[in-house]
Amino acid sequence: MAKRNRKKTQAGFMFPVPVVGFVALLAGVGLMHLCMQSRAEALGREIKTLEARRDQLKERMQQVQLAWARMQSPGNIERALKEHGLVMTWPGRDQIVRVRPDGTAESGAAERRNGERLARVDRVVMND
Amino acid sequence: MTEERVSVRFVWIAVAMGVAMAGLLCRLVYLHLGANDRDRKQVTQTRVYRETLAVPRGTITDASGARNILAVNAGVKDVWVDPAPLVASNRVKETAAQLASVLGVDLNGVEARLDKPGRHFAYVARYVPEDRAAAAARLQLPFVHFADGMARSYPQGNLLCHVLGFVNYDGVGAGGVEQYMNAYLKGAPGLLESALDGRRREMFDRRTQEIPPQDGADVVLTIDVNLQFMVERALDTAMERHRARAAWAILQRIRTGEILAMASRPAFDPNNFKAATDDEKLNRAIGDVYEPGSTFKVGVISGALNEGIVKPGDVFDCENGRWLYQNKILRDYHPYSRLDVADILKKSSNIGAAKIAILLGSERLDRYLRGFNIGSRLGLDLPGEESGILPPLSKWSAISSSRIAIGQGVGVTALQMLGIVCAIANDGRVMKPYVVREVVGNNGQTLLRREPQALGRPIRVETAALMRTLLTRVTEDGGTGVKARVDGFRVAGKTGTAQKVVGGHYSETDYMASFVGFLPADNPDIGLIVVVDDPQPLHTGGTVAAPVFGEVAEQAVRYLGILPPPPAVADNNPSYPRTSR
Repeated sequence: MAKRNRKKTQAGFMFPVPVVGFVALLAGVGLMHLCMQSRAEALGREIKTLEARRDQLKERMQQVQLAWARMQSPGNIERALKEHGLVMTWPGRDQIVRVRPDGTAESGAAERRNGERLARVDRVVMND
Repeated sequence: MTEERVSVRFVWIAVAMGVAMAGLLCRLVYLHLGANDRDRKQVTQTRVYRETLAVPRGTITDASGARNILAVNAGVKDVWVDPAPLVASNRVKETAAQLASVLGVDLNGVEARLDKPGRHFAYVARYVPEDRAAAAARLQLPFVHFADGMARSYPQGNLLCHVLGFVNYDGVGAGGVEQYMNAYLKGAPGLLESALDGRRREMFDRRTQEIPPQDGADVVLTIDVNLQFMVERALDTAMERHRARAAWAILQRIRTGEILAMASRPAFDPNNFKAATDDEKLNRAIGDVYEPGSTFKVGVISGALNEGIVKPGDVFDCENGRWLYQNKILRDYHPYSRLDVADILKKSSNIGAAKIAILLGSERLDRYLRGFNIGSRLGLDLPGEESGILPPLSKWSAISSSRIAIGQGVGVTALQMLGIVCAIANDGRVMKPYVVREVVGNNGQTLLRREPQALGRPIRVETAALMRTLLTRVTEDGGTGVKARVDGFRVAGKTGTAQKVVGGHYSETDYMASFVGFLPADNPDIGLIVVVDDPQPLHTGGTVAAPVFGEVAEQAVRYLGILPPPPAVADNNPSYPRTSR
């Protein structure tokens, strides 16, 4: 039996190039998947935080709206007026400026005519 | 030990392990692929994350430009305690005292709830406003916990309580607009379905379903908070001044039927609806049926004038205040000998009105009253509207016409009574009243918009104009409603003083005083009715209800910018040719 020429035989096992390419591709896709997964997770966490913040702000807005509505309720205003010893009257004729939709004020003649009509009902006390 | 025996043992161990592994494999295959859906479902269920996304109820606002908020959802806290360790640490009294003082709850009640050594959960207070809860949290009391919640808040307190209604603890509207518009206000909750990881945290990339919640729509009313406040303040004053049992009023825009204010006393705070009695919760403006008394003459006389049976100048014998008809005596509050139709209305003669009704006849009287929607609902967009009582014609007795003419034997709501007068002010057209102007979705889209709607026209334009003139005389010198006058305006209206039925008989001490009218009389803009139940010691519509009408009307015309008519029209006071009947 003839002796094998070790110098002419290849040393070790060589992976076929397509297999290596396929494995590399798989590894790449896997890595990308992991990367995207963690990115999605991070985004999800951020969304959740923002959602919570939005709900918080919504609730805060409602609280402020409620407080504002309480403050400007007629009953509260009247209480405040009484507290400070203030008495309000309806505005007099010369204190009212009626503005038309085009932005101009009523003519002098109309003002005078209305004035005569309003003269008898001027300055009614609102909260005596 | 020989090499052969070792090898046999090795084989046995390998076989045993192989069998065990095969068994496990079989079990695994069975669990995953076998017919055990129930187990698989259970496992899957433990990993499913499902959350119902709550939505805030829509707000209710008034009609003013400022869109004042009348009802809104607000975050609240439920305060609870773990009693077992609290009792063990001997801090029950101290904790209860501090919580009761900050939360404003009963100390004894809190102490009793906290002193439960065997329990691990007890509410201290529910639906606590955020500011109070924050104050309690600052105390940093051990074993005290706070849970988020949502509750309906009414920032105006008891203002407009009967129209708004309230929302019960299940979040369902249980009265007023809250009930009637519940479908719009409640919105639609969202749904979130996802998976949980090993540490029970949501895996955001596994969201399988996400239905966004739809916030409740906002309801805009026709009512103006400032007008409402004026009306309620006037009613409160009247209740106090006349020691009345109850009082109610409605302010309506004549041309459209919009309700500008609707108030009822006694009232309740919808923020604390549980403490309110049924009597306080009743919206008397639409839910209390009463005998209208003389205000009802308006409907009867307008029918007779419309039929041409009588003219304003026709004179009737008012029998000096006492008339025997069908063996029953009918009396006048003040005795009169002869009055024309115009004065029968102005001085409110019962005998005169009864004679007009008899002339008109039962059938026509019934037709006119039903034309004015007496005995049927006007269709207001609020729950609890009563239809009133008008007996069917077949059940009328020989004296029914004469008694119905003076507002006895018939039941109406204030809304119906105001409807008659507003129809006269509106050229004979009965308008459908409404309190909801529009419903706006959360994206700003209008979901519902109410337009004025005429229900019918029981009397002609000319009759309505004539009635307006006759009703104006009621507030002139010598009329019963002079106290309803408003400076600079001519006011048309009618007083009513109805005896209440007590124990099956008309009481001599219990009355229902009312005034219903509109202004400006020549170009009507607003109609108002005021009813005061059982005022003492004064009890007539002219002395009790008419001043309230005058007070509210005076402020309302100023607020709404309604101008008085030119003097030439204001001085118009026609006289009528008199004919004896």
